[in-house]
Amino acid sequence: MTNEEKLRLIEDTLELDNNSLKESTFLADIENYDSMTKLTLIVLCDDEFNKKLTGEQINEFKTVKDILDFMG
Amino acid sequence: MTDKNDFTGKQVLISGAAAGIGRETAVMLSKLGCRLILIDIDKDGLADTVSNLFGTGHSFNIIDLGNLESIEPAFKGIVDKHGPFDGFVHCAGIRCRRPIAMITPSILSEVLKVNFGSFIELTRCIIRRNNFNEGLSIVGVSSISSQRGGVSVTAYAASKAAMDCAVRCLAKELGSKSIRLNTVVPAQIETRAYVDFLKMTGGAEDITLTRQYLGLGEPLDVANLIVFLLSDKSKFITGSSIPVDGGFLSS
Repeated sequence: MTNEEKLRLIEDTLELDNNSLKESTFLADIENYDSMTKLTLIVLCDDEFNKKLTGEQINEFKTVKDILDFMG
Repeated sequence: MTDKNDFTGKQVLISGAAAGIGRETAVMLSKLGCRLILIDIDKDGLADTVSNLFGTGHSFNIIDLGNLESIEPAFKGIVDKHGPFDGFVHCAGIRCRRPIAMITPSILSEVLKVNFGSFIELTRCIIRRNNFNEGLSIVGVSSISSQRGGVSVTAYAASKAAMDCAVRCLAKELGSKSIRLNTVVPAQIETRAYVDFLKMTGGAEDITLTRQYLGLGEPLDVANLIVFLLSDKSKFITGSSIPVDGGFLSS
């Protein structure tokens, strides 16, 4: 999956406007970025990429690119 | 007078015995002289549990409880080999924490199958004539989420509430056979998953700060109640869902 496709997948999952996310977007700037959002991203990584992301790891992430890199 | 906490000569089936509450219960029962038949999907974890057991004659079987059709033939093989049971403890379960947006039909089906469906199927197998001894006691491991709302635990909570409901119905249906069924209702137990969840939320959702007065529970706390419900000491208790919750449900 390309990074563009991953961005669209995250937007769709978090119900964000299309093309609103960039790799450089700070996670803290995502609308309503809270523990539920983090949990949703953790589940997304597991379901779509078979990658186990921990709560501790996601707290270390600064930008959307960190998530894309983790997805692999 | 016989010691009602003596399980010598008794045989108990435990699902989900590879870790946590299931393992703790198995070890405790083995100390009381009980023979254990353990099932789980995690072979290494099961072998680890067995190596911690006291006494002899225990055995374990690898069974995928998500495949409900495979349970009856597997159970038949077990009972043919080891004989009838005095107790059954259902600890097996998927700990599923998902927002509603991520609860797809296949996830929901899997959680209900493993957590609840296999409880019913194993109960159906064990209550057949010749598969149990007089005084059979069945204990399911439920959760406080079956009784209180919790964010992102819808599928898990529903599967546990289904089990609570089932023991009420089955206690009535099977009372004439002197079969007892109950669930234990643990609050938050200290697990790696919970500690990680707290780190993610920065501790803001730490229930021990507000509702669980006695702090986090240990598997041992739950195992103590399970063993009591298996024993003759609880011979007048059936159809109940009993909290072991550090005060949570009273708060």
